[in-house]
Amino acid sequence: MKYLIIVSMLLLPASGLASTTLDGWLDMQTGGDSLAISPGRMDIGGMLGGDGWTLLLRERFSRRDSTGITPRVLGTHSITDVDFIIAAGPVTINPEVSWVVDLGDKPEIVLPLAAGEAYRQGYIRPGLSLSGDLNENIHLFASGLYWNRDLKQEDDYDLDWAESRISGGAAWDTPWGPTIAVSGVSHRTESDFIDYEASWSRIDFTAAAGRNDMPLGLQAQAEVTYSLYGGNDFLDREIADRFTARIRLARMVIPNFSVNTIFESVFDFDDGTVRTACNSGEARIMYRFLQSRDVPSQITLSGQLAVSSIRTSKLQLSSRVNLYRGLSLLLGAMLRETPTDVQKAGPDRQRLVFGPGLEYQLGTNARIWGMIEQERTNLEEVEVWWRLRAGLELYPGTLTF
Amino acid sequence: MTQSARALLFIAAALLMLAACEGPTDNTQLIVSLEDCTGCGECTEVCPYGAIEVIDGDAVIDPSACHFCYRCVEACPEGAIH
Repeated sequence: MKYLIIVSMLLLPASGLASTTLDGWLDMQTGGDSLAISPGRMDIGGMLGGDGWTLLLRERFSRRDSTGITPRVLGTHSITDVDFIIAAGPVTINPEVSWVVDLGDKPEIVLPLAAGEAYRQGYIRPGLSLSGDLNENIHLFASGLYWNRDLKQEDDYDLDWAESRISGGAAWDTPWGPTIAVSGVSHRTESDFIDYEASWSRIDFTAAAGRNDMPLGLQAQAEVTYSLYGGNDFLDREIADRFTARIRLARMVIPNFSVNTIFESVFDFDDGTVRTACNSGEARIMYRFLQSRDVPSQITLSGQLAVSSIRTSKLQLSSRVNLYRGLSLLLGAMLRETPTDVQKAGPDRQRLVFGPGLEYQLGTNARIWGMIEQERTNLEEVEVWWRLRAGLELYPGTLTF
Repeated sequence: MTQSARALLFIAAALLMLAACEGPTDNTQLIVSLEDCTGCGECTEVCPYGAIEVIDGDAVIDPSACHFCYRCVEACPEGAIH
């Protein structure tokens, strides 16, 4: 039934309209490892476009290993997105629906108010977004989303769970350069069955500026945001207000060699106390070469470190070296440290994933790839497993009719 | 020392300072780096409290529902949650 609706929605507008374009795509990934086969995911979609309107239909089916750890959680679900965008002068109207169905084993959700556990079966989420330009410097935006969740207890009682989210704001590109924005969001959750009701809200005051004419060819962007929160967290404490400062620096050191860095500091204003909530930094160095070939080659080295009440870090190398025409050699390696939830392991977990692969690109219309990876991770003891991943991406191009 | 080397040295020093920094003992909310989030939905899949939703292609954490179990931090393939 779901798929019949999707096909009908694609065909009906196209049959009655002239000068309509259709762009489609297919992205499939599959794989498996020495622990289990993971059938993977499929993303198929199409975008119909006409004069002042766009209709986007997207279906994603996923059955995958969600955690990469043992014991594993296998999630199987189907996500359908229908997105209709209408541009009328300076105003854009965007009604949308997202429809998620959890297939197979229903994931468990821990309910608030010590109401036990429920099983997630999916949701339907209609939404409406509006945006417009008051003049060339002032932009307004607003959106509303409503979730009708299908959450059931073991005895099959429906929890009648619903959420709504309303947001909106305005941004002003000042004549002096910086952009100033004020935005707000209000979220409400309720379940009649367990008599639960919670809401929170946030107002953001943001100032952002960027410069491209700095010495050394440096590009800089800076952004500060003060977020004023209303509502309580799961322990019934007030959610602290938050100040976030962010700087992004990018530089082309020599042609084909660029460095990109981001630094972020976050402070919480919690009941009269100001404290550092998080410091984080990220750097990415990219080197492009063999640019004249059918597929350009590239090596990217990136590092990331974040220190808050937890510490996470990541060092990653990824490369594509073109061998002949559309054929390229892939190589990836990643070293990560995160907290872990695996029993008897932790509190931190280090993992190393590395492996080679091959890719073939047929212009911009198709890409097929495969990688063999080994993962080593320290859980209760150091565990090692092999993984095979492969994918197919198709972009047939634009049809006009 | 060339200007390029100085710029790289500055970045390395800033990362080392971050590595040496002591974290606070309490954090009132997790952070999603919108630069790194791809909207893949792995975090929504593993969150046992239903506190994460992908909205407009980015993961959004509900500050009233998050219990700081850090499962999303561990599961995120991009390291976008901290």
